[in-house]
Amino acid sequence: MANTHRFRDEIVLGDLAFEATADSVSELFAAAALAVIEAMADPLSVKTKWTQEFRLSEIELGDLLFEWLNTIVFIKDTHGVVFHDIRATVSHDSEKNLWHLDAALIGDAVDATRQDLRTDVKAVTKHLYEVGQKEGTWYAHVVLDV
Amino acid sequence: MKLVTSMNVNRLTDVIWEIPKTEKPGMLVPARIYGTEKILRAMDAGVFEQVTNVSCLPGIQRYALCMPDGHWGYGFPIGGVAAFDIGHGIISPGGVGYDINCGMRLIRTDLTLSDVKPRLDALMTELFRTVPAGVGSKGFVKLSRRGLQEVMRKGARWSVDQGYGWDSDLTHTEEEGCLAGADPEHVSEQACQRGMAQLGTLGSGNHYLEVQVVRNDRIYDRHAAEQFGIHGHDQIVIMVHCGSRGLGHQVGTDYVRIFEKAMKRYGITVKDQQLACAPYQSQEGQHYFAAMNCAANTAFANRQIITHQIREAFRTVFRESPEELGMRQIYDVAHNIAKVERYEKQDFLVHRKGATRAFGPGSPDVPESFRKTGQPVICGGSMETGSYILVGTEKANTESFGSTMHGAGRTMSRAQAKRTVHGATLQRSMAERGILVKAVSMSGLAEEAGIAYKNIADVVESVDTAGITRKVAELLPIGNIKG
Repeated sequence: MANTHRFRDEIVLGDLAFEATADSVSELFAAAALAVIEAMADPLSVKTKWTQEFRLSEIELGDLLFEWLNTIVFIKDTHGVVFHDIRATVSHDSEKNLWHLDAALIGDAVDATRQDLRTDVKAVTKHLYEVGQKEGTWYAHVVLDV
Repeated sequence: MKLVTSMNVNRLTDVIWEIPKTEKPGMLVPARIYGTEKILRAMDAGVFEQVTNVSCLPGIQRYALCMPDGHWGYGFPIGGVAAFDIGHGIISPGGVGYDINCGMRLIRTDLTLSDVKPRLDALMTELFRTVPAGVGSKGFVKLSRRGLQEVMRKGARWSVDQGYGWDSDLTHTEEEGCLAGADPEHVSEQACQRGMAQLGTLGSGNHYLEVQVVRNDRIYDRHAAEQFGIHGHDQIVIMVHCGSRGLGHQVGTDYVRIFEKAMKRYGITVKDQQLACAPYQSQEGQHYFAAMNCAANTAFANRQIITHQIREAFRTVFRESPEELGMRQIYDVAHNIAKVERYEKQDFLVHRKGATRAFGPGSPDVPESFRKTGQPVICGGSMETGSYILVGTEKANTESFGSTMHGAGRTMSRAQAKRTVHGATLQRSMAERGILVKAVSMSGLAEEAGIAYKNIADVVESVDTAGITRKVAELLPIGNIKG
């Protein structure tokens, strides 16, 4: 199964809810991030002139995903960029009991004349927030405040 | 249509409904929903679930309220109002929302529809150029870190001191555009970074700038309207809806995380993670309150700068000064906020999330010029149908913690709206109806179509009948800027 996400408009009215699923944790982080960047702008309309790499670490996997998605929102505001693609690799350090994310955001400066801009995501909320594994599939339920 | 809840919902009056505290384990007070039966039956399940979750929060007083424009939120419903004992009650970012001090501003003019119609295209183009909107938009104000701290402390006063507005704007703003107790020490570095470049920007989603007309036959309280500077005769007014932008959003994000950890220490459990809270008097609670006030002041400063840009756009298009055009601010009022307010000789921490303060005549917190009428309440409807200005009442002070509705309230998800309406088609159709829309995002435009909202007239009738505000005038759109 490929990593995927779907927006769930039956859950929310004013905001955006999505469910991401994947076979691996890394793919789950990629799928969830794609949902967030698609909410902001059509990735196909955004060029790949800007890249930033990150390393994030948390004890809980759910906290790491939350931090990652909030980082995307933060970068959008502080760098004035929207995104074409992302890379995400998650690993677990059992000695330190830490989850690590090595990720990259790829995109371009906001330009309403060339890009299909969508919604300014304000925040990743904790409402109905859930990350886990069910029958071998990793899943995340996320609600974005827009 | 049946109610989408199995809870008992009892009719108190034709427009007030109560869910007894026996309906959910942990409820400390009953929950009350304002609205006609038609409004109540159309409410989504989230409202019933969330307003009763709020009624379980420690220190809540009298009842958890939801206004008739209420709908599913996160933590609190949109339209939620709850007051907490300031001694043993909590404070919750979920009761304020991420867009701290999202609010409404209304500016009057001496222009009429016949003055504006021939130049509407030029006006909307100039407004679209001078008021940045949409994803990633940046304002023209360049702030140093010290400057941002001044903004957080002084609010709209900072903007006026920089030349972006008039002193009379401040006296016609809730709390004169500056909440006390703002301490930038409790605002994170990330929040500051998000806020640095965004002063004077609208944002996106349901935020907008709208040029509206007031027809004679849509004035319902002539005396209050005149006090507000509204005389009808196709008069032009301008409405702004936006908030604290990234700075406020980050303050909300930061403190939900802090409160999640704090709750364990204080032994607080909540029905929804997004209701994360801390005792108001705790260190965490006080730090959030200080940071929230910083974000609220940033929002006041933001709307003040947008007001300046609007006046300059009118100056450019009409070749007269804003003073000559009579562009006085009627009022600016928050609808996402937590404030300490006094009711019946007791102080409460009142959370309003998608609800507006509605103080009645005689309130010392109302500007002198509105002391006899009550406070103007600005309610934004959908861009297709129109908005309202209402006036606060004494009954709001005794029944609803000085609170009322804030807008139309959604009935349709964003995705469903986009499936139903195409942005470009909607834009053309509105132009045919005399409403010129400039939007950064066509999909964003479709999400805000009138069909996605309740009929604001029904919502207004509910609060008018309940007596917690009175209808003053309807404001009909002729031009709209969307992010």
